[in-house]
Amino acid sequence: MDLTLRFFATFREIAGQKVVEKTYDDDLTIGGLLTALEAEYPEMQEELLIDGDIKPQINVLKNGREVLHMQGIDTQLEDGDTISLFPPVAGG
Amino acid sequence: MSLSLDATQLDRYSRHIIMDEIGPEGQARLLDGSVLVIGAGGLGAPVIEYLAAAGVGTIGVADDDIVERSNLQRQVIHTDENVGVPKADSAKQFVNRLNPDVTVETYETRVTPENVEELIDGYDVIVDASDNFPTRYLVNDAARLAGIPIAHGAIYKFEGQITTLVPDGPCYRCLFREAPEPGSVPDCATTGVLGVLPGTVGCIQATEAFKLLLGAGEPLEGRLLFYDAMDMTFETVPYQKDPDCPVCGDDPIDSIDHITYQDGCRVNITSEQ
Repeated sequence: MDLTLRFFATFREIAGQKVVEKTYDDDLTIGGLLTALEAEYPEMQEELLIDGDIKPQINVLKNGREVLHMQGIDTQLEDGDTISLFPPVAGG
Repeated sequence: MSLSLDATQLDRYSRHIIMDEIGPEGQARLLDGSVLVIGAGGLGAPVIEYLAAAGVGTIGVADDDIVERSNLQRQVIHTDENVGVPKADSAKQFVNRLNPDVTVETYETRVTPENVEELIDGYDVIVDASDNFPTRYLVNDAARLAGIPIAHGAIYKFEGQITTLVPDGPCYRCLFREAPEPGSVPDCATTGVLGVLPGTVGCIQATEAFKLLLGAGEPLEGRLLFYDAMDMTFETVPYQKDPDCPVCGDDPIDSIDHITYQDGCRVNITSEQ
């Protein structure tokens, strides 16, 4: 399936891109996607997942909705989904 | 409404008063209103400027920094001659020159767990224009307990995040439960920041503050607005109240006494009562 990945702030710098289109195997959850991203981008290691769950400091949105309000790490992904990843920023 | 407008005020605020959505009643409400601006830096500067110009009667300015020359690229209320002057005082000078209707309360202090309740007490609206995570979490928690709405804004290089935290809506911790580890999200001094970026973001925060004071429009509640200056895009992402939120969820805190706001960016909630 094809996914659109959108990175913000520090994740944008690590990925070197704001938007990435990627093809994954058909049976994929948010947890699987984050694991794959940590493997692909060394600087994302330990930035996305902790103890098998999504790190509390980041936000993961599926089609504009926070996945914590769906099935969290087990949220199933479908062809055409847009996943957004962002950390809080504090600058003023 | 305790205030009536004099002839000078009718002139000064005529472009507000002429609009049905504000009118003399709305302007009187602004003159009677009070906003606490936390941080008189990049975000705080345009916020203070527009609140003062519009005649918000009382503006509190909390900042413990002094004006540095490197601030002047974006902190537009401060001037070269005020380098070395406390930012709160410099902000007050700016407002006094702009609008004699406005009273500025200066707090030349860092916001701490010890002083936050007293600091925010009595203000109608808080604008979080601070530059660090511990202050942002502290202000969120204390304002929620006090029932005061916050116009929140934060910047990173070319990006901004803006949202409005109203007492019965989701809070900052519903969106970001914990702060990132110290150093993982660098600050403006480390990364740099486009000078005009906090201008755009601060103006949106000021807009939200006006709407809250006037009770008009739809606040940016339960929505995080992303601004990307390079792409020139605005995107809104909805978010919800988190039932497990330690501050406003099903088992909310009743004081900040048991929360530790450490020197770094991590905020720990200890469980002992």
